[in-house]
Amino acid sequence: MRDECKKDYERLSEYLDGELDDEACREIERHFRQCPECRECVDSMRKTIQLCKEAATEEIPIRARERLRSMLRECFSRTHDL
Amino acid sequence: MIETATESIDHRLISEFKAGSMEAMEKIVERYEQRIFTFGLKMCGHLQDAEDIAQETFLNAFRYLKDFREETQLKNWLFKIAATACIRKRRKKKCEPDHEISLESFIPHDGGDAKYDIPDWSEDPSDHLLRSELKKIIDAAIHTLSHKYRLVFTLRDIEGFSTEETADILGISTQSVKTRLHRARLFLREKISTAYKEGTVP
Repeated sequence: MRDECKKDYERLSEYLDGELDDEACREIERHFRQCPECRECVDSMRKTIQLCKEAATEEIPIRARERLRSMLRECFSRTHDL
Repeated sequence: MIETATESIDHRLISEFKAGSMEAMEKIVERYEQRIFTFGLKMCGHLQDAEDIAQETFLNAFRYLKDFREETQLKNWLFKIAATACIRKRRKKKCEPDHEISLESFIPHDGGDAKYDIPDWSEDPSDHLLRSELKKIIDAAIHTLSHKYRLVFTLRDIEGFSTEETADILGISTQSVKTRLHRARLFLREKISTAYKEGTVP
């Protein structure tokens, strides 16, 4: 990997999170335009983040919800201020 | 500081809880249980552990709510308690120490195949089976992440906390958040891409 690619590889997340200053963003985007490998790298990273976020939803079993409420209600009633 | 609508509702519910309203307590649970439970599940991997985390989080939250400072966001405070509960649970289970993820191991070498095949998430109900298989791959990949990287990844990329908020919740520096997040993402990209290509759960 070339030095320029390595430098951008290390700050890829900061770029995706909008945490780099304007000058650094311009520099990294200029590099992406000229380097298909790094462009593919940033795209796949973006897709990974998006995919994990979209697949994150979990179902809470109704019984677990009920147990949580019943435990808290019991503590509330016992001590009033827990 | 301008209060958001969410903060304003939270602060009203907190005041009502302090005044003795059980209904306010239940409304607070209703607002945050899904996220706390999801966080517990992502961190611990088992329903029972996630339920323990949710119970411990809300129990401690209501126990100490009288000390809650108005300038704090309830959501951030709850996640701070939940993260502490996850760390404590892990310590109790005497898990192996975290292994470091090295950046070097992900750097593509000249001539190497740097292509990552990351699938799209389909919202089409007819893709239910495909989605469930893909979710297995993603969850398993997240679970192979070392605990300290998983904490940062879950807070930043799943829960959407900022770098600063994550640093505050975990009591670490913003630089550590950035470093761990970057490595966690590289690790997940590699794991998900490989598992998807091979059709196996990592």
